[in-house]
Amino acid sequence: MSSADDNKVTLTIDGREVTVPRGMTVLEAAKSIGIEIPTFCWHPKLKPVGACRMCYVEIEKMPKLAVSCATEAMPGMVVHTDSDLVKQGRRAVLEFILLNHPLDCPTCDKGGECDLQDLTFAHGIDDSQFDFNKYRFIRDKKSTFDDYRLGPEIIRNQNRCILCYKCVRSNKEVFGEYDLGAFQRGNITEIDTGPGQQVDSIYSGNLVEICPVGALTNTDWRYNIRVWKTQKVNSICQYCADGCNLTLWKDRQKIYRATSRRNDAIDEGWICNRGRYGYQIANAEGRLTVPLIKRGERQENATWDEAIELIARRFKEIKDKKGGVCIGGLAYPGLDSASLYAFSKLFRTILNSNNVDFRIDYKMLPEEPGDLYTQITSRKFSIAGIENSDVVLVIGSNLINEHPITNLRVRKVVTQKGAKLYTLNPFATKSGDISTDEIIYRAGTVEALINGLCVSIVEQKLASDTVDASKLATRVEPNTVAQAAKISGVEADRIVGLAQALGEAKHITLITGELLSTSITRDAITAAIMNLALLCGMAENGQIGFLSKYANSKGAEKLGVMPLLSDSLIAEMKTLWGGYPEQKGLGADRMILSAKKEEIDALFVMGSDPMLCYPDGQFVREGIEKLDFLVVADLFETRTTQMADVVLPLSSIAEMSGDFVNLEGTVQHFDQAIKPLGQSMPGYDICNKIASALKEPLFESVARMQPDIMRLLLREENPEIQRELREVKTSVEQASGEYTVPLFVVDQAHHFAHLTERSKSLSAFCSEAHLELSPSMAEKLHAETGTLIRVESEVGKVILPVIISEHIDNDVAVVTRNFSANPVNDLQMRKQRVDYVRLTRVEEK
Amino acid sequence: MEKKVLFTYIDDPAQVKVETYVGHGGYTAWQKALKQMKPADVIDEVKKSGLRGRGGAGFPAGLKWSFVPKDSPKPRYLICNADESEPGTCKDRVLMEHDPHGVIEGMAIASYAIGSHLCFIYIRGEFGGPIRCMEQAVKEAYAKGYLGKNVFGTGYDLDMIVHTGGGAYICGEETALLNSLEGERGMSRIRPPFPAIEGLYACPTVVNNVETLASVPHIINNGAEWYTSMGTEKSAGTKIFSLSGHVNKPGNYELELGTPLSYLINDLGGGIKDGLKLKAVIPGGSSTPFLLPDQLDTKLDYESIAAAGSMLGSGGVIVLHEKTCIVWVIERLIHFYRHESCGKCTPCREGTGWLEQLISRIERGEGKPGDLEKIESICDNILGRTVCPLGDAAVMPIQSALKLFRDEWQYHIDNKRCLVKSEFAFA
Repeated sequence: MSSADDNKVTLTIDGREVTVPRGMTVLEAAKSIGIEIPTFCWHPKLKPVGACRMCYVEIEKMPKLAVSCATEAMPGMVVHTDSDLVKQGRRAVLEFILLNHPLDCPTCDKGGECDLQDLTFAHGIDDSQFDFNKYRFIRDKKSTFDDYRLGPEIIRNQNRCILCYKCVRSNKEVFGEYDLGAFQRGNITEIDTGPGQQVDSIYSGNLVEICPVGALTNTDWRYNIRVWKTQKVNSICQYCADGCNLTLWKDRQKIYRATSRRNDAIDEGWICNRGRYGYQIANAEGRLTVPLIKRGERQENATWDEAIELIARRFKEIKDKKGGVCIGGLAYPGLDSASLYAFSKLFRTILNSNNVDFRIDYKMLPEEPGDLYTQITSRKFSIAGIENSDVVLVIGSNLINEHPITNLRVRKVVTQKGAKLYTLNPFATKSGDISTDEIIYRAGTVEALINGLCVSIVEQKLASDTVDASKLATRVEPNTVAQAAKISGVEADRIVGLAQALGEAKHITLITGELLSTSITRDAITAAIMNLALLCGMAENGQIGFLSKYANSKGAEKLGVMPLLSDSLIAEMKTLWGGYPEQKGLGADRMILSAKKEEIDALFVMGSDPMLCYPDGQFVREGIEKLDFLVVADLFETRTTQMADVVLPLSSIAEMSGDFVNLEGTVQHFDQAIKPLGQSMPGYDICNKIASALKEPLFESVARMQPDIMRLLLREENPEIQRELREVKTSVEQASGEYTVPLFVVDQAHHFAHLTERSKSLSAFCSEAHLELSPSMAEKLHAETGTLIRVESEVGKVILPVIISEHIDNDVAVVTRNFSANPVNDLQMRKQRVDYVRLTRVEEK
Repeated sequence: MEKKVLFTYIDDPAQVKVETYVGHGGYTAWQKALKQMKPADVIDEVKKSGLRGRGGAGFPAGLKWSFVPKDSPKPRYLICNADESEPGTCKDRVLMEHDPHGVIEGMAIASYAIGSHLCFIYIRGEFGGPIRCMEQAVKEAYAKGYLGKNVFGTGYDLDMIVHTGGGAYICGEETALLNSLEGERGMSRIRPPFPAIEGLYACPTVVNNVETLASVPHIINNGAEWYTSMGTEKSAGTKIFSLSGHVNKPGNYELELGTPLSYLINDLGGGIKDGLKLKAVIPGGSSTPFLLPDQLDTKLDYESIAAAGSMLGSGGVIVLHEKTCIVWVIERLIHFYRHESCGKCTPCREGTGWLEQLISRIERGEGKPGDLEKIESICDNILGRTVCPLGDAAVMPIQSALKLFRDEWQYHIDNKRCLVKSEFAFA
């Protein structure tokens, strides 16, 4: 037998011969030839437990019925999935399960999509021999109908529970959460939270989706609609660049819920709560439905014609007087590709300006195209490819918050495949709990630490021979492990240990996140990381993921919604449009700086809220106040729309079809679920209206424009990266004077940018900005959860309630940026690498 | 016949002290194994001795040890299962309370045989006395250098942890015990993988009963041949039987395997209490089928009891006299099994509850025609269809009682009272 055959087994199921990979279960083997075996507790992504016993099969020469979910397919097995004995076994299991089940299907939200209904219909009997009163879980001695909240969004009805344990199992196995468990024993076993705990992780919604019956329901869906009245619409999540596939369930003009649409390349059937509940912004209160024009001090309702006429007139005036260079555009990178493309085309072909940028929450960034960072980000990354790695290295990312589903893939490879995770962050994160070593460096010293790793790899003679390592010492600074240790505050032996693990790894996935991509020293850090990658041989065996943050950041990059583009991209645009503006464009930061200097007169902001999200709130405000003309399109009133001369109602993603490019570079289409609300319009239509009023339409129809968009999105640059070690000098900023605590402004786990605070369910998890502190830091301030703390930097001040972190154990201040009531960006300075703050307790009067 | 091996010094209160234990020849087997034998030799010797698991299943101990993969890079663990909770069984408790070093020495030798450097004894949470004895004994063994680093100067390290359970019957089932020891809820795991391949923390693990392990030092000291000279061909050595119920002298008795049941009940146990007649015997802990008075000649070894239609099990012999209502007995048992069903798999979880409801109503005199057939069909739907043997354990005595005493059940349903004048109490 050849070795290929060794990995296969051939067996007979219901008289049909089937050959499957060794290790596959009988259940999966049957499934592979279309034989469905009924199950309750089996789940494709969980380890089998054999609890429900619904999947019995009869295997010849075995004395008892076998559970097919936990029986490995063996050569020569003869399996019967529908024999009389099997049928009898299933009926008995259903009879057992239904003994105490309330059969309250008429009022149960699961009705119509319930595994218990379906399988009883298919395999059960219509009568029970059980002649006792059903057992009832009683709470509060009031009613036998048990509705009990497990967390902000999950309600449990234990009477309906069939104890498949999928909620508890997925929570532990996949999400690494221990807030849910089983209590009591036998047929009075209850699923409940741990004492004093709530099921409130960002993955908690999956527990409802995975429930085969109506035992767990979520508040958004519950008692609102019957499932058979809804229609399913394919969608893509807009709340990070992972690109999880969703199904929206809608009836007429309302969306009722979002569930996962399993895509094994990306999400494996799991979504985070942002994806699950974020749809609510579409039907949320306060949506802008008509254009507004500022008249005097007030913004008043206007017609589209009035608004467009005004915009066209003012843009034309400015362009005619001072040129298109005096008009700038900021687009939200969570918009669909067509809108981003139309935005870029509007500026470049109609307004003759290269001042477009999507990088709204970045600090001052280098403006050169084709830098090393861009080269790396334009290369392929694969979420599923993480599973090939034996070492995962995360640098500068709170991965669980930034990319919840990529984080699950990392968890999987670590907990199920034995890979090692190393995290390098300025503060401990939740995703670090499974890391072999969670290294905390002093804020703003990451390149020194990486240099130390490089040096140690070379010293341990573990460097890849594809790169000339001899020049390392002359090109990096610090160039000894001891110095790197001193600067970064990480013990030398941990640097050496990590260097060894990296040097010996067979396949590394390196992931970086927001802390790197938004750093003003991004170039130096990128160079340091590239050195490390070359020394570890990652170009041959590994992948680097500089993960983009927003749902369509990658698309915005590919569509060129940036001021400076590579020559090849410019050439493409010239071919598409027959022209391209001459003048150098300005990036987001420079546009606002120029506005402040009155060199930019008008700004068109589409979908983003710089006043809340852009670092250095003071700076942004001053820039925007100096503008002659501000146009803002958004879903809701924001801090930025409040300052606008014209406000345009933007349609939400659910109100159009389109596509996003996820962090891997995969283009994914989403369908329209509902009609645009009120008079709102998708971004591309708005751009087209403005273009038409100024000169000529950008497109006849979106469909006609689609080939041009796809041409850009599917373009692969994949630049060859030079294999030589780069110079990396470390410049360390010191905290000055009384401002000593490093500040990190991040997204709250359940929120994303400025949009999600409008989702009722997500607000149930968190509805205000917080200051997250280590327990020791909190103790120093005599602060408890909820204590108000004044957070002051050199430029700004906010007062925030404290949350005591379960992870952070060093002296840092982590604040969340997603709440319009608390513009924490006021604390940041655009030229500062690390912002430092002073914390004081607000004394109660 | 009665034969004291494990019980040689059981009546000496000083045996719990390490000095006394050593004075009685203790820890010589451990020293012998470590200094003169290779692990494979130890396994061989135990294999040859024919020692079988005393926890209930009777699986050959040496064979179980040999399943541990020799080339696995993972650590291996030995676990002593001291979660003795089978109703009618109280032998391990005596060993731990009166001869704890015998248990420790057996664990040490078994650890060495499988290459384990960390072993656990998982003791039932309610066992206050045994827990204190074992903890004290382990402390003394460490102090004397029988445990810890570099035992007997051989370079072999062995640590031992006394762990106490939370008081769940299911945790005596080895995979549930592993879950419990790991800090998870005590629920059985599906097999394969078997613990010898993936047990505690997914590492190769051997789980042995207290009595099994306590027998090991004697086998190492005296040789396999000596051990096989006792007992029968397939059931070698001695076994402790916990005699309880309606006998005059209940207690733990160590017998050579193959001794007739009547010798245990009549000669050692002093016969049935109050001069009454014997009704039935549960021979191997509460989950085993009944034997009848005409089966008293049955020899107490694995094969003979199986041939008589029951099981040797854990050796918990429960004697019932003629004034015992069988429905009442079964009602007590099913109450126990319903309460202890872990809640994992459907047939056991739901079936035991339903059985309890049906059997209690018959016992209360509220039985309905057809109930017995219903009980039988429920038993059929549980037996052999659960993850672990708890389901089987719950239904086997019921099936046996229905078969052997069907008229009594029927009488209960028809007349709403007991056929026998029940005294509702064990001695």
